[in-house]
Amino acid sequence: MLSRRSLIIQLSTTALVGALATHARSAAAADKTVKIGINLPFTGADAHDAELIKDGALLAIDEANAQGGVAGYKIEVLLLDDGTATAGQYDPAQAATNARKMVADKEVVAAIGPQMSGSGKAMSPILSQGDLATVTPSSTNPDITDPKFAGQYRPKGKAIYFRTVTTDAFQGPNMANYYADVLKVKSVYVLDDSGAYGVGIADTFQAQAEKRGIKVLGRDQLNPKETDYSTTLTKIKSLNPDALYYGGVAQAGVKVVKQASDILPKMIKGGGDGLYGAEILRGAGFPAAEGWYATIAAPNILENPDAAPVIDRFAKKYGQQPENYSITAYDAALVILDAVKRVAASGKEVTRDAVRDAIQTAHVKTLQGEITFDDNGDLRNREISVFRIVKDDKYPPDDVLHQYKYLGVAPQSS
Amino acid sequence: MSDYGVLLQQVVNGLSLGAMYALLALGFTLVYGILELINFAHFNVFMVSSFVGMWALELLGISGQGHVLTGPALAGALVFAFAVTMLAGGVLGVAIERLSLRPLRGVPGTAAMITTIGVSYILFNVILLTVGAGSENYPNPLPVVRWQFGEVTLELKTLLIWGVATALMMTLHLFVNRTRLGKAMRATAQDAEAARMMGVDVDRVIVAAFFLGSALAGAAALIFGLYYNYTSFIIGYTAGLRAFTAAVLGGIGSVPGAMVGGVLIGLIETLGGQLIAVRWTDVIIFSILILVLVFVPTGLFGRAVPTKS
Amino acid sequence: MTRTGTRLAVFGVTAAALLFPLVNQNDADIDSAANALAFAALALGLNIVVGFAGLLDLGYAAFFAIGAYAYGVASSWQLQPAWNGLWEPFQWLDLVTRFHTAGGDVVHFQVSFWLMLPTAAVIAAFFGVLFGAPTLRLKGDYLAIVTLGFGEIVPIVARNTPSVTNGAMGLNGVAAPRLFGFDFGIDATPYYYVGVALVAFLIFTSQRLKDSRIGRAWMAIREDEVAAMAMGVDRVRYKLLAFAIGAAFAGATGTFYVAKLQTATPEMFMFPVSVMILVMVVFGGIGSVWGVVVGALLLQVLQSWFLEDLSGWLHALGRLVGVDWLQHVELAPSIELIFGLILVLMMLYRREGLIPAARRRRTLNLDEQTIEPACGGFAELAATDHGSRVPLLEIVDLTVRFGGLVALRSVELSVTAHSVVAVIGPNGSGKSTLFNAITGLVPTDQGAIRFAGKEIGRLRPHQVLERGIARTFQNTRLFPNLSVLENVMIGMHARLATGPVGAVLRLPATRSEEAAARERAAEILSLFGNRLLPRADHPAASLSYANRRRTEIARALAAQPELLMLDEPTAGMNPAETLELADQLRSLNRYGLTILLIEHKLDVVAMLADKVVVLDHGEKIAEGLPAAVRRDEEVIRAYLGRNAAFA
Repeated sequence: MLSRRSLIIQLSTTALVGALATHARSAAAADKTVKIGINLPFTGADAHDAELIKDGALLAIDEANAQGGVAGYKIEVLLLDDGTATAGQYDPAQAATNARKMVADKEVVAAIGPQMSGSGKAMSPILSQGDLATVTPSSTNPDITDPKFAGQYRPKGKAIYFRTVTTDAFQGPNMANYYADVLKVKSVYVLDDSGAYGVGIADTFQAQAEKRGIKVLGRDQLNPKETDYSTTLTKIKSLNPDALYYGGVAQAGVKVVKQASDILPKMIKGGGDGLYGAEILRGAGFPAAEGWYATIAAPNILENPDAAPVIDRFAKKYGQQPENYSITAYDAALVILDAVKRVAASGKEVTRDAVRDAIQTAHVKTLQGEITFDDNGDLRNREISVFRIVKDDKYPPDDVLHQYKYLGVAPQSS
Repeated sequence: MSDYGVLLQQVVNGLSLGAMYALLALGFTLVYGILELINFAHFNVFMVSSFVGMWALELLGISGQGHVLTGPALAGALVFAFAVTMLAGGVLGVAIERLSLRPLRGVPGTAAMITTIGVSYILFNVILLTVGAGSENYPNPLPVVRWQFGEVTLELKTLLIWGVATALMMTLHLFVNRTRLGKAMRATAQDAEAARMMGVDVDRVIVAAFFLGSALAGAAALIFGLYYNYTSFIIGYTAGLRAFTAAVLGGIGSVPGAMVGGVLIGLIETLGGQLIAVRWTDVIIFSILILVLVFVPTGLFGRAVPTKS
Repeated sequence: MTRTGTRLAVFGVTAAALLFPLVNQNDADIDSAANALAFAALALGLNIVVGFAGLLDLGYAAFFAIGAYAYGVASSWQLQPAWNGLWEPFQWLDLVTRFHTAGGDVVHFQVSFWLMLPTAAVIAAFFGVLFGAPTLRLKGDYLAIVTLGFGEIVPIVARNTPSVTNGAMGLNGVAAPRLFGFDFGIDATPYYYVGVALVAFLIFTSQRLKDSRIGRAWMAIREDEVAAMAMGVDRVRYKLLAFAIGAAFAGATGTFYVAKLQTATPEMFMFPVSVMILVMVVFGGIGSVWGVVVGALLLQVLQSWFLEDLSGWLHALGRLVGVDWLQHVELAPSIELIFGLILVLMMLYRREGLIPAARRRRTLNLDEQTIEPACGGFAELAATDHGSRVPLLEIVDLTVRFGGLVALRSVELSVTAHSVVAVIGPNGSGKSTLFNAITGLVPTDQGAIRFAGKEIGRLRPHQVLERGIARTFQNTRLFPNLSVLENVMIGMHARLATGPVGAVLRLPATRSEEAAARERAAEILSLFGNRLLPRADHPAASLSYANRRRTEIARALAAQPELLMLDEPTAGMNPAETLELADQLRSLNRYGLTILLIEHKLDVVAMLADKVVVLDHGEKIAEGLPAAVRRDEEVIRAYLGRNAAFA
C-alpha cells in the first residue's frame, strides 16, 4: 500500500531521473554545429499539416547537411511540439514554453515556425527578448508584425518574426480585388470557420469587398466540428449572391466544398490558402471541388523551373506530395541556411544576433522567387497568386500542382 | 428563392438531420432507460462505425462518388454495408459494456459515466492516430437524383435517410413492444430488481440494449457517410451532443421520445440557423438542453425523472 | 504517517518548490513548471466541486475562461470606450488611463494584476452560482451534462463577441503584472513564484475548508444528500457554495495564466481542457487535496518532459532490437489516448486515485474487538421543559398522495411533550411516509403539522431539523465513507455557526467551537459505552449492523432535538441488543427527550411507549395504551388477517 512517505520518495526519484534525462539529452558532442528550432503542433488536429511543414523544412536541411553542411557548420534540428492534449491542437501556452526552450538553448541560432498565429502571439515577445529570429511558413495574422503592436510583440524593437508567406492583410483584400475586377462579382456572402486564421482572412476580405463596392449580403461562421452546413448554404442560396467566399482551413473547407456543390452548383466560389491543398482534393473529390478558386500568399511556385526537382525529391523522400506550406517551409529553411552562410562568410561568429541581422538583409533565391523582408519581418513581395481547381485527368486527382490551375496574380490593393 | 421556399427547404434539411439524430438518440435512450447511465462513448462508437462502413464499401470496390450502382447491385451493396456497419457498431458497444462498464455496475455515483468519457477519448484517439485528422471522401454507390418541387429540392439520398431511419425505428418499436426480449427490456428499465426476481436475465438484457443501441448508431453512421460523402475522426462530437439533447428533449428512456426529439432538434438546428445565425446554433441547443433538464426533466414523453429519489 | 513526518514532508516540498528556479536555471523548465502549477490550482478548484461536494462538473474550464478574459479585458487595449468625465474617479484610482488617439480621447483599462486576482475570483464565483443554480435538483449524470453545456457555451460566446474578446483571433496586448515598479515581462521566474504562492494558498484554503463544518456538510451531501438534508444541511446553500468557491479558484487561475501568456483565445478553454482537469483529479485522488496537486503536476510533467524522453528511450530500444516501428514512434501525439486510458483504468482499478482521500485507520486488535460491552453514563441532554401536558407535535388531518396512491389519509396524531409515542402497523401502512411528511422529505396534500405550536408542514428538511426534530431512517442512512465521529458531528451542523470564512481563518471562536463540538460528539458516542468510541475514526461503512444503527441514533442526538424520531431502531438487533437500546431510549426519555418511534417489536413498544398509534393502509385504526391496542380487534385483523381476529 502506498504510504505517503514512499510516495514522496518515488516522486522525487522520478523527478530527479527526469531532470537528469533532460540534461542528458543535450550531451551531443559536435565540432561545428548550429541548431535550428522547429516548433509545430505535432499533437492534435493539426498534426498532419505540421508533419508536412516539418518535412519541407527537413528536406532543405538534410540536403544541406548531405553536402557537408553550411560553411562547414552541420545543421542540427531541435523539434518542439506546441500541440497539447489539453487543447487538442496548438496550445499557446506550450508554444511559449517552447520559445523559452529555444531561447535557453544557446546552440539554437534561428527557428522555423510556428504554424498557427495563436502560438506566434505567445512566442513572439519571448523570442524578441531572446534575440532569436524565427521564420514562419504559415502564420498569417498581421497583428504580430504590425508596428502598431510592436511594443507587445517585439519589445526589443528589432524584427524577429519573419514570414515566407504574406499576411492576411493582403491575401484577403487582394482576392476581393480579384472578385471585383476579374470575376466582376457584384454581391458576395462571406463565411469563416471560427478559427483565428479564418476569421482574420474573412474580415480583411469583407472589408476590402465593401470598399470595392461589392455588396456583402451576409456573414456567418461555421463550426468545423459540425458536419451539416446545409442550413447556411440553403440560406445563402435564398439570398442569391453572385459569389461565396470562405475563409478558413480544410477541416470545415472540405465540407463546404462538398455540400456547396449540391446546393450552390452554379455560384462563383472561392477562398484563401486554406482551400489550397491535397486535403481539399482528397476530401472533397471531384466533381465537388471543380471550379473553386483558391489563393496562396506567395508567388506561384510552378513558374519557377527549380521547383519541379524539389517537389520530386520531396515526393520520393516522404512518399507524398508536398503542400503549399511544405514549400514555404522549405523556403524558410533556405532563408536561414543562407543567413548562416553569409554570417560565416563575413568572418563573424555565428550567433543568433548575427543570424537575425542576416535574415533581415536577406536576398535569397527560393522556390517562391527572391525573398526579401521589410523592417517588420514581412515579405516584401506581396504577391497573392490565384488558382482555380480544374480537373486534369492526366494526373492523380489529389495532385495539387496539376489540379490547381494558376490564373495569375491578384490585383494589389492600393 | 422566396421566404416561404427557403423555409420549406430548411424544413426538409431539418428532417434529414433529425432522422440521423433520432437514430443516435435511440442508442442513448435504450442504455439510459435500463442502466441510468449516460454513455459518452456512444457518439464515438458512431464515429468508428462510419469508418467501418467506409472500409466495407471500399471492400466492394467502391471508392469516391464515381462508382455509381443501380438496381440489385445497389441494393446488394447497401445491404452488405448496413449489415457490416451495424454489426460492427453492435459488437463494439457490447465490448465496451463488458470490459469497462460491467465491473462498475452497482458502484454508486458517477464512476461509470466518467469511465465512458475515458472510453470515448480512447476511441477518438485511436482513430486519430491511425487514420489521421484528414477528411475522408466517403465511397458512395448512390446515384445522384434530384427532384424539384417548386423551390424545394429533394434528393434521392434524403429519401434514403428517411426511409431507412423510419424502417429502423419501426422495427425497434415493434421489437420493444412485441417480443419477449423487448418486454424484458422494458421491465428491466422500470425496475431491475423486480425483473430479476421474475426470471429476467438482466445481464442479457443489458447486453441486448447496448447491442441494439450501438447497431443503430452504426446505421446512423453509414447513413451519415452516404449523405455527406464525408467522414472524419471528429464527427462524433457535435452529432453526439445534439443527439443527446434530442433524447433529453423527448424524454430520456422513451423510445418514441427519442424519435420525436431527434426530429425536433434537427428542425431547431436548421430553422434556427436560417432565422438567427449558424454561429449561435450550439448556444441555442445547449440552452434548450439546460432549460429542459431544469424545468421539464421528464421531457416530452418520458417518465424517468432525473432527480434523486 | 506521523505529524512530524507530515510536517517534514510539507517543509521539504515547500523548500524544493522555492529552490527549483535557482537550481534549474532553464527558463523553459520554469515556464513548464508554472503551467503545471496553474493546472494544479485548477485541479484544486475542481476537487472542491467534484471531490468534496460530489458534484460532477464537466464544464469547469468555463470559469477558467471567465477569469482569463476578465483580466484580459481589464488590462489590455481591447476595450476603448470614449473618454468622458465619469471615468475620472477610476483614473484617480489608477484603474484606467486617458489615452490620446487620432479619433479622440479614449479609456485604456489597466487594472492591476494583483487587484484582478481576487476580483476575477469573485466574478467567476458569481458565474459559479449562476451556472450551479439550475443544477441543484439534478442527479449526478444530469448535473454533469448541464455543466458541460455551460462549458460549451462560454467559449462560443467568447468567440462570437469579438468586440469584447477579439473573438477567435485572441486578445492582444494583455499587460504583464507589475510589482513595486518591477515589470514581470516575459521572464518565467516571477510568474513561477506567483504560481507557487497561488497553489500554496489554495492548498491551505482547501485543507481548512475540508476539516471544518463546511467540508463536513459538503461530504455529507456527497455521501447521501437526503440524510444530509435531514441532518440540517441546507443543500441549496452548500451546493452553491461549492460551485462558487470552485469557480473562484478557477477564476483566479485564469487571471494568472493569461497574465503569463499575455494572450487568450477561446480555443484554450474548451471541453478537452475540462476533461483534462477531471483526469488530473481522478488520477490524483478525488477529494484528496495533496492528491490532486500531485496528479496535476505529474500529468503536466508527463506531457512536457517525460513523453519526449520516453519516446527517445523507445527509439533507442528500437535501434537496439532492430524494430523499425519502435524507432519512429512518437508518444507526444498519443498523450490524449494515454489520458483516456488513465481515466478508464483508474475508474476500474483504483477509484480512490493515487493518494486516496480517506485516511486509513488502525484496525482494532483482538482484545479491543472482543471486549465486554458496557453501557456508558449519561450526560444531561438539555431539553426544554415544556410542561407535561403540552402537545409537542400535532398532526391534523394529514393526507399524502403519490400520484393515484393515497399513502396517508386524514391521519391525526398528537405527541405530548416528554412522552414516548409508538407508531405501529403492517408493512406498507404509511409509517415511514408519515415520518417523511413530518420531516419535509415528501410534500403533503392536505392537513397541518404543528411543532411546539408552529406550523412546519411547508418547511424544508433542514429547517425542520433546526426547529428541533431529528430522525433516523429505516435503512440506516449513514455517510458510509466518513468516520463515525464525522457522522455524529454532521448531526451538529445546524447547531454550529462557522461559515466558510471562519473555516479558512480558523479564528479562536471557530477553534473553540470545533473543540466543543468534538467533545460533545465524543460524549454522545460514550452513551453507547465502548461500542462506538473505540471506533470513532473508522468509516461508518465498516461497522456492524447494530453499531451502524447506534451511530445513526447518535447522529440524530447530536442535533440536540426536542423530538427524536426513530424508524425501526432495533430492526436487525438480537434480543440482548434490543433490550439494551430500549433501556437507553428510556433513559433518554427520562431526561426530557420526546420520542416518536416506529417499531415492530411489541415488547419494546410495551416497555417504552406511553401511547401507541396503529396505521393500516394509510389510516389510523387505533390509538391508546399498549395493552389496550394489543387486544384491539381491528389491529389484530390488520396484522394477522380476518381469521386471527376471531381466534
